[in-house]
Amino acid sequence: MITTKGNSKENIIRFLLIFASVISIITTIGILFSIFFQAIEFFQLKSFWYFLFGTEWSPGQENSKFGALPIFAGTFMITVIALLVAIPVGVGSAIYMSEYSSRLRRNILKPILEILAGIPTVVYGFFAALTIAPAIVSISGWFGLTAAYNSALACGIVMGVMIIPIIASLSDDVLRAVPNSQRNASLALGMTHSETIRHIIVPSAMPGIISAGLLGLSKAIGETMIVVMAAGLRPNLSWNPLEDMTTVTVRIVDSLVGDHAFDSPDTMSAFALGLVLFVVTLVLNMISLSQIRKFKAKYKINTL
Amino acid sequence: MNNQKNHNPFYDPSLSSRHRSARLFKAFTRGSILITLAFLCFFIFDMVRTAYPAMWQSYVKVEVSYNEKSSKISQKAIDKKFRKIVSRAWLRSIPKLLKQQPELMGTTANQWVLADDQVDQYMKGHHHNLKQKQVSVIETLKTNAQIELRWNNIFLSQGDSKLPENAGVYSSLIGSIFTLFVTLAIAFPLGVMTAIHLEEFARDNMLTRIIEVNINNLAAIPSILFGLLGLAVFINLFGLPRSSPLVGGLTLALMTLPIIIVSARAALRSVPDSIRQAGYGLGLTKIQIIQGNVLPIAFPGILTGTIIGLAQAMGETAPLIIIGMIAFIPDSPNSITDAATVLPAQIFTWAGMPERAYVEKTAAGIMVILLILFFLNAAAIYLRKKYEIKW
Amino acid sequence: MKTLIFVLGLTVIFSNANASPRDQMKIVGSSTVYPFSSYVAEEFGSVSRYPTPVVESTGTGGGMKLFCSDNSLNSPDIANASRRMKIKEFNLCERNGVKNITEAMFGYDGIVLAQSEKNKPLNISKKELLLALIKLVPNEKQDKLIDNPYQFWDQINSNLPHRKISIYGPPASSGTRDAFEEMVFEYQTDEIKVYRDAGLKGYRIIRTDGVYIPSGENDNLIVKKLSKDTAALGIFGYSFLTENSDTISGVTIEGIQPTAKNIATKQYPISRSLFFYIKNDHTKDVPAIKEYIEMFLNVDLIGEDGLLAEIGLIPLTDQEIKQSHERTSKYQKLTLNELKKNHGF
Repeated sequence: MITTKGNSKENIIRFLLIFASVISIITTIGILFSIFFQAIEFFQLKSFWYFLFGTEWSPGQENSKFGALPIFAGTFMITVIALLVAIPVGVGSAIYMSEYSSRLRRNILKPILEILAGIPTVVYGFFAALTIAPAIVSISGWFGLTAAYNSALACGIVMGVMIIPIIASLSDDVLRAVPNSQRNASLALGMTHSETIRHIIVPSAMPGIISAGLLGLSKAIGETMIVVMAAGLRPNLSWNPLEDMTTVTVRIVDSLVGDHAFDSPDTMSAFALGLVLFVVTLVLNMISLSQIRKFKAKYKINTL
Repeated sequence: MNNQKNHNPFYDPSLSSRHRSARLFKAFTRGSILITLAFLCFFIFDMVRTAYPAMWQSYVKVEVSYNEKSSKISQKAIDKKFRKIVSRAWLRSIPKLLKQQPELMGTTANQWVLADDQVDQYMKGHHHNLKQKQVSVIETLKTNAQIELRWNNIFLSQGDSKLPENAGVYSSLIGSIFTLFVTLAIAFPLGVMTAIHLEEFARDNMLTRIIEVNINNLAAIPSILFGLLGLAVFINLFGLPRSSPLVGGLTLALMTLPIIIVSARAALRSVPDSIRQAGYGLGLTKIQIIQGNVLPIAFPGILTGTIIGLAQAMGETAPLIIIGMIAFIPDSPNSITDAATVLPAQIFTWAGMPERAYVEKTAAGIMVILLILFFLNAAAIYLRKKYEIKW
Repeated sequence: MKTLIFVLGLTVIFSNANASPRDQMKIVGSSTVYPFSSYVAEEFGSVSRYPTPVVESTGTGGGMKLFCSDNSLNSPDIANASRRMKIKEFNLCERNGVKNITEAMFGYDGIVLAQSEKNKPLNISKKELLLALIKLVPNEKQDKLIDNPYQFWDQINSNLPHRKISIYGPPASSGTRDAFEEMVFEYQTDEIKVYRDAGLKGYRIIRTDGVYIPSGENDNLIVKKLSKDTAALGIFGYSFLTENSDTISGVTIEGIQPTAKNIATKQYPISRSLFFYIKNDHTKDVPAIKEYIEMFLNVDLIGEDGLLAEIGLIPLTDQEIKQSHERTSKYQKLTLNELKKNHGF
């Protein structure tokens, strides 16, 4: 029963479908639009190169300087700690779930991981500030070290816990997607189960695991509540994870809700930092995507 | 034993060390998962322990005299020594009560009323700021059984309050529901439509590829940047009311969109092509097939993804700071354009309060949100299991 | 289809945005004033016939930006401030048509220095505080400014204990920090010759080598950190001290205890005034404003035995309360000259 009326109706529906798909592009443009202009305004007041490579961040005064390097360094430090926690534990959990555990156990473990992923980051923030941070201070006290109460280490560890489920879940999917023929071939050659995993399955799944790690990385860089509640506010260029450090997201929140005048570079710096955040997460995601594409192409999988 | 092995032509002398390393490796993976589980247990234990006292609230039995005086200055309704013992939240309601029920005027009543938060903290054995005089008043009340801890009704039926004993999660819960409703109403149709377009219609051209990459990027963009978007576009450009569930819901919808799209695509993809072919064979149009056959089969999968997306949106706080939903809003909203706050925002606010009594409220709020998330996730898993179709 | 409905709905809401009179007030501004303002809002909501006003803690600057952005009914009715309105902000208001503002002062806030209860009482002078915290300090000969070398309190004054200097305080974006820098640093460096000679009159830059730890507006965390980190001091609003008197105690400044009385009589040297600003053009369409202000400035709330004093507000003198009443009862218009005249009181 194909009538012209039906056709025009179908055309409308198809148009709506395309329109819906374009929303995602509009959103991205919208985000760019809402940070770009004010970031440009900021760079008209303050040097772009000093912003990227300067080492002094001193807002809220005359001749304020906006060298964001210490902020980037703090973000980097906390993120690296988070990944040091999350990658071994996350990938380890994924291997256990996909290779060792029974189906039944896996069906219990995965939802539990999802619960962990569902814990709001506000909750993690308090946990970091009030339970982990003091513990780190007393532990480092035993070794004769002094740690700050808002140490990068505390934030990093809790953030690591936060991204474990992301890495574990994605790695698990990838590991399970490695064709069974590879496992069987390796076992038939007399390799132990763990050798099969380490030498055959993990290398095969590597692009996917890298992609999972990068996704975790960009989540860690963009995470806000944990660091707002538990990290310091002092831009600090240091290699010592026991010191307090600040991150890009903390600075964004701090300068937007602070008592600064509305048009001061202090407020505007939030948008410049937001732009950096946008670009960095975008680049990371692109790399992550290309990795997963590599994996898919190799094994001709399209369920990931 | 050893001899036997040596006669075996396949004997590998490194076998025992290989097995040892295999055991070690397995122990490592098992250890990782145990660490994760241990963290979860410790965390939940810690929260439950902190939240437990919030289940109870102190009430005192005092003599209340309703008269002309107390209708003007409510403190006069009770004996002077109880003024710091009872809650201001109850005291200030007296004039209103008398206006509503004038027949009470001139009567006195012995009734149970809400106690002050400091009294409550004292009763629970926590730190308190009470003076010695007040403590002795409470002790006499205790011996006369005129003070007791009761099940805390207020916490689930009231909104935010500056008086910890009167604070609850009700209005933030309603705010969360309104916000999530907007999120669902926007993100679900848009997400499903996008998925249908990409899976069923789109040709592999430039636009499609851009859209696909874009959706992936959107999933990775930090949530705080969505807050900046909400502020710039929905509030400043469209002029939508600040702090409203509408703006919050729209912002969260854009964040949830990628999750829904990805799961909806996976669900659509899992519908075997034979279904579509059968439809064509019957002479149906593509849209008829999708509407009548493909979508119903894919629906549980789409729903699962949507629920997970909503659960994530529910716990999101960072973008809401920027669009003004972290504020003191004790009344629950009546429409999506009224000012409202949401559960995680309420937790964030309470966490920053100076009064000690809020610590248990914060933890209790966390328990509420975790329970909701737990049920949402459980629902998603149930749906996934129930409608899982093996082709 | 649903998208279409959504777009239509959006336009409806959009056109309704500049709606007619509303019942619910909108209040934004300082995080210091927020506890007081929201307390009043709650009282107002439960006693009056209007809904509880929405109070948002945006920081003074953020509040002013919202307050001054627009004169329509969509914008906030009241802006809370932990400092006076800046001239720049006043001009922004003027530019956007917000021309009729009334200023009301309603109390003081003491900025206190506190330490863990476990420590012995400590007394610090303003000068010692300056030397402990500022980036550049005079050298021994008092003729040059050098990077702050002090790591222990007894290096500044041998009478002070041998304790590591470590101070948690508000971040650079905070009004509390602004006020603290002004009262502790600026007023002093104005007077000290070395700073003037170096062309740094009113120098107020806090050291950034980790001795001063900016800790965000969530003062609760500072309180908890102090109870664990006993060497450290914390800077925060007076109300937090009263609320946590079991774990932390106030440090006396120039021998003066940070008590409500000492702050109100201005004996205690570090205190500031708290304000709110009313958008007078809204008073007609938002009738709640008038009643809210009357309630706020009532002695029952901001007086000496008022409810706000219980949560840490330092009350005004009777004379000052009267002045605030006068200003608000006739919605006295704030002028630029007034702002210029006594800046920083």
